[in-house]
Amino acid sequence: MSFILRRIATTKTGKQIVRDQPLPGDTITLGRESGNGIHIPDLAVNPHHATIGSSDGRHVHVAAQEGLGFDLNGRTLDAADIDSAAGAELRFGGHRLTVAREGDAIVLLVERIDELSQSSKDVDEAKAFSLAGTMPGKRLGAWTFAILVFLAFLAGPIWAWHSYRQVDERPGGYHADLAWSSGPLSSAHKSLKGDCQSCHVDAFVAVTDKACVGCHTGEHKAMSAAHANAPTAMLLAARHPPGVGERILAGFAKTFNRPQGRCVDCHTEHEGAGPMPATPQKFCADCHDGMQARLVKAGFEPTVADAADFGTLHPEFRPLVRTAPGAKPVRAALSKGAIVDQGGLKFPHDLHLQANGGVARMAASFRGRHGFGQKLECANCHRPDADGVRIRPVEMERDCAMCHSLAFETVGGVTRTLRHGEPRQVVADLIAYYRSTPPTRPLQLGGMERRRPGQYAEGQVYNIYFREVAARPNRAEDAVRAVFSKGGACYDCHTIFAPAAGNDWRVMAVNQTPRFLTKGWFDHDAHRETDCADCHVAATRSKAASDLLIPGLRQCRDCHVGEGGARLVKVATATESPCAMCHEYHSDGGKPWVPARQRRKGSAAIADRPPPAAQAVSLITGTEARGLYDGTWRSSAPKLASTTGRGG
Amino acid sequence: MATLFRRRAQRTHVERVRHRRHEGFLRYANFRWAKISGMLCLLIVASYALVDVTPRPNGGSWYGYTLGTIGAALILWLTALGYRKRRMTSDYWSLKAWTSAHVYLGLSLIVIGTWHTGFQLGWNVHTLTWALMMLVILSGLYGVIVYATLPAVLSNNREQMTQMQMLEAIRAFDRQLHAAAQPLTAEDTAPVLAALDEDPFAGGIRARLTGRYPRCATAAALRALAGSHAADAEARGKVVGLLRQKEAALARLRRHLRLRALLEIWVYVHVPLSFALIVALSAHIVSVFFYW
Repeated sequence: MSFILRRIATTKTGKQIVRDQPLPGDTITLGRESGNGIHIPDLAVNPHHATIGSSDGRHVHVAAQEGLGFDLNGRTLDAADIDSAAGAELRFGGHRLTVAREGDAIVLLVERIDELSQSSKDVDEAKAFSLAGTMPGKRLGAWTFAILVFLAFLAGPIWAWHSYRQVDERPGGYHADLAWSSGPLSSAHKSLKGDCQSCHVDAFVAVTDKACVGCHTGEHKAMSAAHANAPTAMLLAARHPPGVGERILAGFAKTFNRPQGRCVDCHTEHEGAGPMPATPQKFCADCHDGMQARLVKAGFEPTVADAADFGTLHPEFRPLVRTAPGAKPVRAALSKGAIVDQGGLKFPHDLHLQANGGVARMAASFRGRHGFGQKLECANCHRPDADGVRIRPVEMERDCAMCHSLAFETVGGVTRTLRHGEPRQVVADLIAYYRSTPPTRPLQLGGMERRRPGQYAEGQVYNIYFREVAARPNRAEDAVRAVFSKGGACYDCHTIFAPAAGNDWRVMAVNQTPRFLTKGWFDHDAHRETDCADCHVAATRSKAASDLLIPGLRQCRDCHVGEGGARLVKVATATESPCAMCHEYHSDGGKPWVPARQRRKGSAAIADRPPPAAQAVSLITGTEARGLYDGTWRSSAPKLASTTGRGG
Repeated sequence: MATLFRRRAQRTHVERVRHRRHEGFLRYANFRWAKISGMLCLLIVASYALVDVTPRPNGGSWYGYTLGTIGAALILWLTALGYRKRRMTSDYWSLKAWTSAHVYLGLSLIVIGTWHTGFQLGWNVHTLTWALMMLVILSGLYGVIVYATLPAVLSNNREQMTQMQMLEAIRAFDRQLHAAAQPLTAEDTAPVLAALDEDPFAGGIRARLTGRYPRCATAAALRALAGSHAADAEARGKVVGLLRQKEAALARLRRHLRLRALLEIWVYVHVPLSFALIVALSAHIVSVFFYW
């Protein structure tokens, strides 16, 4: 009965040296202390860790002594019985005790299996000392990030586009291609935010005009006549020679199939929330600055003068005027002296606007009625459109008849007037009047007073009266002649043609031009704080209706400067005016579109406030311009056709 | 004449000094690439101020396209450093020249990329690309700074020892500790055993970067043994002395690890984000043409 303790040492060359040592006795002790039968120099082993005994020389009983157990086949035990023939592996701290049987002896093989300390373990220097052992690999990170970005920002958006290809309108919520949006849409297009495909219809195809006019069916549908009717070659020739930058941009556009001249070239989107920015002056000036020379060079005939900036380079206005009554309107240059516009009326503005005199006295006598004050004002006769933008043509019944009455008889308190605008009706009315009404009967003929017998005078009166009664219907012709002749009601304002060759009395047709400046836009409403005479300076001196009282560029430039503030004259309160303030590229007859926050900006500051004394007067008479500008902003686009040729 | 000679003498002196002195990638060729990219940045900033782009500056203007094309090409070329440094060549650009250009042109990308945006930023793939680019550049800038400053600190800390020698010192103290602690009682043995069981390379990225190991078993063992009243004071005193020495060796190793971590961490941002950037850049370009 014996135990054999076997130790295996490994030399540096890797050779193993096996040493066997017989251990006498049936029970041996195992522990860290050197007095033990099996001495294990291991701090993880107790000084007297366990006893190992065998009663029959075959079965081994192992019992732990000092609390710390041992491992047998992976389980921690305090005591175990082992058949040495079957063998077993026990573990004490960092050492392994293998029990085996060789002949009659029980062999206990003791070897260190764990390193002495953690630091004694082998390390891969390159890995352990660097971050490679601590951080996830760079390659892993690169792949992870790359795949995440690919899925979220490339595959996702394309998938979103693909899944709504044939859909008219996307449902709300988030769509992956929103991550591609380069900036918020303008407030007008806010509702299209989640629906990229409402404009970006096809992949790799630049936004087409079709996408715009799909919704914008009305005013912005087409280019203006001037721009659309011009041949493309002419439009191209008008463009200023491209700079380096534009050549680069054109190169990109050509290479990547991005056509020029689309709506979005000017109306840029994704530039931030808020109203879409008004098209800047440069878009116009790119062509119109120095355009004449370029057009002539290219063999085209220029129809408009060069314009680059309202403050510095803008042609003088060319209002539409009629050189003769009834003639076709033609453009006249304001710069070439006084211009006449033959509308067919006689009207001395100076007489009507005098502060004293007959007209003023008459107006004062009507004070409080018809909006009259101490004297006549422009607004008493010239009335604005419903939206306040333009001035309506003068209408006789509404605007003149307050003073220029056509009344000729009162029947039972009702005043009968001659029919304005219908000369033949006037003639008929006068004839009927003279036929139906006898002359006033003299007192001598119908009175009840006593008459002296034989008085001759009575017969005289009788004769006079009844001759008159007989001749009465014929007097109508004189009255008609009088009304159409100098000093008559018609003649004062109209040019009259006397009857000749089968014609009756005729009145020359009156043409009032509703819009003298057709290429630009003037908004009276925006200038409501400014006096009429501030711009229409010649009105108070004008003696004839044929004087054209349209203000020139100079009057505008008193306040309006170029987009960047450029000016030629001294301006007290400058209003920066890009082209789009008066001109509309699309020229659809509507007012040029202006972002809400730029509308009528600071116009009150331009106008000179009336002095307090004027306020005192207006308390009595009412405001000067009462009701003149009570229009709303752009209620509906006015129809030009309906106003032309009216009046007279 | 005398001045002429003196100047020449000075010049030869300077040349000799330059030859003797190590020329790193930062001062390569007398800061050639620093000058080139500095000029490039100045040119961009000045032209941005001078060029009147309509309707407003952004990536879609001709100026934006130009800067964008330059930037995209530059990003791809900068990424190629990873390929270039793995290829041993003698006839092409030296790696030093390449690295110098990489650093300075990469820094100029801050101006190119940011001015390309026209300062229009938002929550979208375009700004994501810009942000990734900035992160990559800033991490690279950090790398340049630590490469310029930390190696000297690293060298001072090593005191002529190699990394493995540092580890070997700890191993030696461990062996001595193991032997010296044999007579100790069970209560005193446990902390020593824990100290031996401590992996000097343990601790996450946080411990590596800060150099703070609050649960250090060696320090804990020191505290435990200093407060112990068990028998065997002599053996315990020896163990405590050994633990102190081990702690010092461990501290040196940990400082070393911290410096190395600080030297390396930026690459873990720089490289993965570079690849994310390339994908984001592709998405940015595709998106522009997709929704043209």
